[in-house]
Amino acid sequence: MDARRDQMESKRRENGNNQQEHGQDEPLKGTFASVLMLGAFIAVSWIGVFLLFLNRS
Amino acid sequence: MIQVHKTTDSKLSLSHILVAYAALTIGGICGMLQGLVRGGVIELPYGIGYYQVLTAHGVLMALVFTTFFIIGFLYAGMVRTTGPLLPTVNKIAWVGFLMMTVGTVLGVIMVLLNKATVLYTFYAPMKASPWFYVALVLIVVGSWCALVAIVSQFRYWKRTHKGKISPLFAFMAASTMILWFIATLGVAATVLLQFIPWSFGWVDTINVMISRTLFWYFGHPLVYFWLLPTYVVWYVILPKMIGGKIFSDSMARLAFILFLIFSVPVGLHHQLMEPGISPTWKYIQVVLTFLVVVPSLMTAFAMFATFESYGRSKGAKGLFGWIRMLPYGDVRFLAPFVGMLLFIPAGAGGIINASNQMNAVVHNTLFVTGHFHLTVATTVALTFFGVTYWLIPHLTGRTFTKKLNRMGIWVTIIWAIGMVIMSAAMHIVGLFGAPRRTAYTTYNDHPVALEWLTYERVMAISGVLLFIAIILLVISIVMMLRAPKGEEEFPIAEVNAAAGQTPAVLDKWWIWIIILAVLIVFAYTMPFIDLINSGPGSKGWVTW
Repeated sequence: MDARRDQMESKRRENGNNQQEHGQDEPLKGTFASVLMLGAFIAVSWIGVFLLFLNRS
Repeated sequence: MIQVHKTTDSKLSLSHILVAYAALTIGGICGMLQGLVRGGVIELPYGIGYYQVLTAHGVLMALVFTTFFIIGFLYAGMVRTTGPLLPTVNKIAWVGFLMMTVGTVLGVIMVLLNKATVLYTFYAPMKASPWFYVALVLIVVGSWCALVAIVSQFRYWKRTHKGKISPLFAFMAASTMILWFIATLGVAATVLLQFIPWSFGWVDTINVMISRTLFWYFGHPLVYFWLLPTYVVWYVILPKMIGGKIFSDSMARLAFILFLIFSVPVGLHHQLMEPGISPTWKYIQVVLTFLVVVPSLMTAFAMFATFESYGRSKGAKGLFGWIRMLPYGDVRFLAPFVGMLLFIPAGAGGIINASNQMNAVVHNTLFVTGHFHLTVATTVALTFFGVTYWLIPHLTGRTFTKKLNRMGIWVTIIWAIGMVIMSAAMHIVGLFGAPRRTAYTTYNDHPVALEWLTYERVMAISGVLLFIAIILLVISIVMMLRAPKGEEEFPIAEVNAAAGQTPAVLDKWWIWIIILAVLIVFAYTMPFIDLINSGPGSKGWVTW
């Protein structure tokens, strides 16, 4: 059982190293947050001018 | 490394870049002057007209600077990724350059003589000297030589590398020129079939609506002709600048194909307020316009991912720790990066412009001017400035020095501040209703118009700031041409090893061009049938 746990641990470490080699394998949390903020900015701008349209019509 | 300087290919690219910056300088002087006039700060001497200066500014900046820079840059990248231009290709390219240059000189002479004060959109029924339209033909046909040159070089590479996926830069360069060709068919049709016969007096009238529709068939993809080379820099060159990798080759190609497909059959969203076009077809083209959001957001995602992957590989922690890892001290990265950031509000403004109801709020106001000063004059221009700082040394066998870098950072900062202030003022005062393309006026001291004046003066001040940046840029170019001899690399990034293999279908043009042709026929056939039967046409007017 311990041997199997060691093997899994060693595999996890190896994966970790590979992830550092290929940065893309890292979870892109910052990218996800950035595109969400970008989308929110676009939506807020659009809604703002739409409200202006409603207000003037 | 292959030495490219002193070859006819490098001279070809350099010639394009230098004409582009000559146009930027003259266009920049015109821009500053028109800002000062509009803000009521100065009056133009010697009978020079505001609209004359405005025409020169628009034509030189939007058409000449961009087209020459793009073609020069793409040639250099083709040489870097596919090898020296074939002798025939090189000859065709030089013929194109000469035609474009003669066309530019002729067009500028007509504007300076006040024979073509029709603004860069040259809307009928304003009628310029026929030689202005001949100048446009020379510029467009010259640019088609660049299309033939780049596509021929691309096809030669494909023939000699059977079964291989083309270099990403070469694929993107060919996409850009194919987009340009399809777009310029519209402007060629209106100039050759309508404006030239009408302006020479061979026919009495012109169908105004058809000419405007053909212009915007060209005018919207023109925006993507500016943006695609900008995206080339972001996708292929910036990763190398930061020491990272291209996030995904397939994603980049797919984004370019989608831009190609969705940037052409959408021109009617520039004509939402015009009568004579069925609301149904306006609606359909607005929907197609919004599809361009998909490749735009794919590009945003790919950029963030490239930066984050690089930052994490350097040990960045936290959600946004990777932002601190980027090389902000290098103008070759900083200028395109600032352009990229300012593309976020630019894109948001574009979605507002293209929405039918909101177009009613902003149509023909300074909001629209603010929008394209963020897109082409900030995002595109700053990206091209960043490229210039390594491209001219690369082409001339010079080195990029620390002093040049410092100058470039100043240019970037001043340009970005100037454009942010100017565009913000334009967006705000546009929402208050201030019209675009209008000389200084207080409308008999109407209180609403008087409220606009403060913003217009802010625009004038920022115009001066931008001119200072242009002076620094011109000094930088002279310094680059005299910099110490050496080798400067044309940076091309590699694709991330973890990215999947590119499917061959993304390298097959004919499929995507057929889809685009079908969409164009679908989106424009019925509107044109309506427009052909839309009245007797108009005689020409000289309004200046």
